[in-house]
Amino acid sequence: MTDSLIVVGITLTYLLGVLWVGLRARGQENSSLEGYVAGGRHVGVVILFFILGAEIFSAFAFLGAPGWAYQHGAPAFYILAYLSLVPITIWAMGPRVASLGRQKGYLTQGDMIADHYQSRSLGILAGVIGVLALVPYLTIQIAGAGLLFQAATDGLIPFWLGALLAFVVVAAYVFTSGLNGIGWTNLIQGIMMIAIAWFLGLSISERLYGGVGEMFSQIQLTMPESLTMPGATGMNWGYFSTAVLVSAFGGAMWPHLFMKFYSADSGRTLRKVSVFYPLYAYLLVPLLFIGFAGILVFADEPLVRSDTVLLRMVMDVANFSPWVIGLMLSGALAAAMSTGANLAHTAAIVLVRDVMSPTVMKGASEQSVVKATRWSVLGLSLIAYLFALANPASLVLLLLGAYGLIVQLFPMVLGALFLPQLRRASVMAGALVGSLAYLLMDFVWSSPLGWHAGVWAMLLNVAVVGAWQLLGRTSRDGQALAGKSV
Amino acid sequence: MTKTYHLLTGLHFALCTLAMIWPGALIANRIEPTVLGLPFLFFWYILWMLVLFAGMWVAFVVRHGGGRHD
Repeated sequence: MTDSLIVVGITLTYLLGVLWVGLRARGQENSSLEGYVAGGRHVGVVILFFILGAEIFSAFAFLGAPGWAYQHGAPAFYILAYLSLVPITIWAMGPRVASLGRQKGYLTQGDMIADHYQSRSLGILAGVIGVLALVPYLTIQIAGAGLLFQAATDGLIPFWLGALLAFVVVAAYVFTSGLNGIGWTNLIQGIMMIAIAWFLGLSISERLYGGVGEMFSQIQLTMPESLTMPGATGMNWGYFSTAVLVSAFGGAMWPHLFMKFYSADSGRTLRKVSVFYPLYAYLLVPLLFIGFAGILVFADEPLVRSDTVLLRMVMDVANFSPWVIGLMLSGALAAAMSTGANLAHTAAIVLVRDVMSPTVMKGASEQSVVKATRWSVLGLSLIAYLFALANPASLVLLLLGAYGLIVQLFPMVLGALFLPQLRRASVMAGALVGSLAYLLMDFVWSSPLGWHAGVWAMLLNVAVVGAWQLLGRTSRDGQALAGKSV
Repeated sequence: MTKTYHLLTGLHFALCTLAMIWPGALIANRIEPTVLGLPFLFFWYILWMLVLFAGMWVAFVVRHGGGRHD
């Protein structure tokens, strides 16, 4: 019991520290929409690096990455591959998004789509899909925080209280400080995660095997199949490769990532962030060590849930002091909270700006829009918390489905950025066919060749866009460019 | 920026992507030789993360070195 008290004490201290930083980050421009949403469009390299890093490193990465290494072995390198490839999209697309946003005042994906294609309903649709994907995603972070608290304190802090504690802190600083609060807390939480991940990864392999190299030699002796593809579970190259591509290049369509491009102080800043971004992926390397370490430890009694491997290793196997367990809990909570803050912030903005402003809040003043956004942060966090308590099984399905739809916005967004000749009808037809194909492959049929369904859906999407463009050109004879309004 | 610049950055991105998926990663799909204590395939990913970083760094300096904002 005293051990659990130490764990709780360390973690509460950490939460209070984050809350203090988040509240103090409140800038002077927070009352303006641009200030609250995009940090006044002058966020610099360091903060932006940590924001974009934190968004990808969710509770899922912190617990799921070691889980993959433990369960599948080498296929876990999928996570390293896709994370280090994400910056290619930031490099190519970010500066253009930032400059368009500055010129035309865009703050969301929906803004850009609605304006470029001259269709308000398209913007609303993008907004609705965005909220539908973001809220389940937020729920998963909140549930992750609750589970972590409960496990690491031996039930002293139950699920409902742990989830509540972590997300009251998040909602408070996002409500008060907007993007500035997210930026500064993500910096602290990012450093926390990196330090703890490396400490745990190295000390666990040291304690159990006498070092990383020694650990891998022992795995090579008993379970060599874990160390190369297709891994212990036989994942084929086709799925591995296409999953990397969808996650790496489709990921930038997530509203919480995409909208951060608007907040950069320049295109140069975004490029600099993308240069350093692959280094953030090194955070995962020690987490993978922990998963690999679990392969031999749990060889006789496999874990029921592979994503508990980090918790089990730290708490039961490596025999750490409660101080270390408290730090581990803080680091894992950092992963859940730093992602959750971005999700709550983005979901509220998308809801108010893309869905409510063109409908129920027509002509509202900037001040009331900011106010509505702030209260939506609290409202949506509460909804996500209630979802986490109810734990409906359909949540993951909703997340998967909505994410599949978001990725299908890719050609539409590319059109708005680089390809003015693409017409509204073509990109809409493409997105529709692509989304439908994705949903069918994910939930009804299986995907051909065992590839990730997102790749097939995207190929169909692009094919339909191309065909529609050609058809439109022949029928309208040269009016193809008319769809672009300057 | 020149056509050559865009071509080279594009090639760098394509090369790094292909190295991490099929077919590029096939050539590294083995345990020996271990490097820094890591199985070769694990090291391969660590290596390409570094290559991607280094190439982007060069591309950045060429394009934006000296504070240029184009």
